[in-house]
Amino acid sequence: MREVINEEVSVVMSYSARKKQSLPYLLNWQNKDYYVGKIGYYHSYMEGQERQHIFELIDKDETLWFRLRLNGGSLHWVLEAIHDGLAN
Amino acid sequence: MDITLNVTQPLTMHIDLNSCYAIIEQQANPLIRHKPVGVAAYTSPGGFILASSYEARARGITMMRVRDARALANDIVILPPDPEKYYDAHRRFRTILERYTSDVTPKSIDEFVVDFTGSEAVRTNSDLISVGCQIKEDIRREIGEYVTVNIGIGPNRFLAKVAAGLNKPDGLDVITSDNLRETYRHLTLMDLPGINRRYKARLNLAHIFTPLEFLDAPIHKLKHEIFRGIVGYYWYLRLRGYEVDATKFGVRSFGNEYAVGDKTRDIEKIERLLMKLCEKTGRRLRKHGYEARGVFLGLGFEDRTWWGKSKRVRDCIYSTQTIYTHTAKLLRSIEFPTRVTHISIAVFDVRSSQPTQLGLFDGTKLGTRSLVKAADTINDRYGEFTIVPASMANMQDTIIKRVPFGSVRDV
Repeated sequence: MREVINEEVSVVMSYSARKKQSLPYLLNWQNKDYYVGKIGYYHSYMEGQERQHIFELIDKDETLWFRLRLNGGSLHWVLEAIHDGLAN
Repeated sequence: MDITLNVTQPLTMHIDLNSCYAIIEQQANPLIRHKPVGVAAYTSPGGFILASSYEARARGITMMRVRDARALANDIVILPPDPEKYYDAHRRFRTILERYTSDVTPKSIDEFVVDFTGSEAVRTNSDLISVGCQIKEDIRREIGEYVTVNIGIGPNRFLAKVAAGLNKPDGLDVITSDNLRETYRHLTLMDLPGINRRYKARLNLAHIFTPLEFLDAPIHKLKHEIFRGIVGYYWYLRLRGYEVDATKFGVRSFGNEYAVGDKTRDIEKIERLLMKLCEKTGRRLRKHGYEARGVFLGLGFEDRTWWGKSKRVRDCIYSTQTIYTHTAKLLRSIEFPTRVTHISIAVFDVRSSQPTQLGLFDGTKLGTRSLVKAADTINDRYGEFTIVPASMANMQDTIIKRVPFGSVRDV
């Protein structure tokens, strides 16, 4: 089921100069590392004058879906929600 | 006077995203792909499902309450809507189409009409079917590999839309004068866009039961007996592939609606909700550069009755406060029969707010405008509802952003 988290998390991000693409690589939540697997969807929107970047992705083991928000102003990461792929 | 079928090359393309919101959620979360998914306005049992995935539809789940959907499929994944994500998909969708021609008209958040007349694709004699295949490929690559679209090509918008509905999901069909009759042969009246139950009943009364009979109906019968007016003539042309639906309508009103989760008769509570609806409507009105000359207030009640009243005003309506003042007056004019379940407001008779015409006796009107503009600037800079009227304090999680079904002017 989907669970709203809204907690700041630690994230390692990578940038590819060839693809001109920045993507989260690893996130640490509740003292556990999750390597980023497939990125399902990326979008961004403005909140006031700050751009919010939303990455929706699953971990490499394909056990959890994460919705991560990178605040373009503060560069802080927030884990907004998780989902295990099962019915609620 | 009989008019033959339109035999010109079909150059209108209708494209719609399959199960839009649900499929975008499945794209975003690979763990829920190939599973029944419903996007609901509220995920509580009484919430209403706005969109369901193909897997959910296969089990009979369309627009219904969450509790009813769970009774049909207890493994259904129910998700709240994510308007910003759907807006983003809409913009990407549009960007892709605009690479092929500049004549792209969004019909809703998940539907586009593309007119290829005079486009490069036509000038270079490209086959529109291969252009359609290319568009599908672009969408998979740039929006997501799970996202599919239905594409219909026809000589007018109507037939293009009919074609887009022939082979869902992921269809690509063309209707021309050559296969028009054969296509109609396999459809029912209700399969035709624009034919609802009432129109169907009206056609049935005139002994028209199939699209082919509709097509063969003489013009005078459609115009004088069935539709009693120009609408009958438009149907006569539309069914034959002539364009009658390319009219662009201007902005006529702005409005917002709210389903009251905690039904109430408490007028103060309703006034607070009303203020927030006024703020949302006012922000949109001003953002698009309009002012209005009338307001409407509608209320839905627990006993399923509905009340609505509108009022025209002499002075222009521009600020949230003015909208609120007029709608609150309307609100005070009614005695609630039961608890209120829905509130909707609208401002109408909109016209451009520039240049500002000052009235001789308007007092501090310019001051009010300046104040509203200053508040809007702060909200633009620091986010929606940063500065709000006092009566809206602590309402951050009430009347949140919702997905629009028809209009895409706020996308």
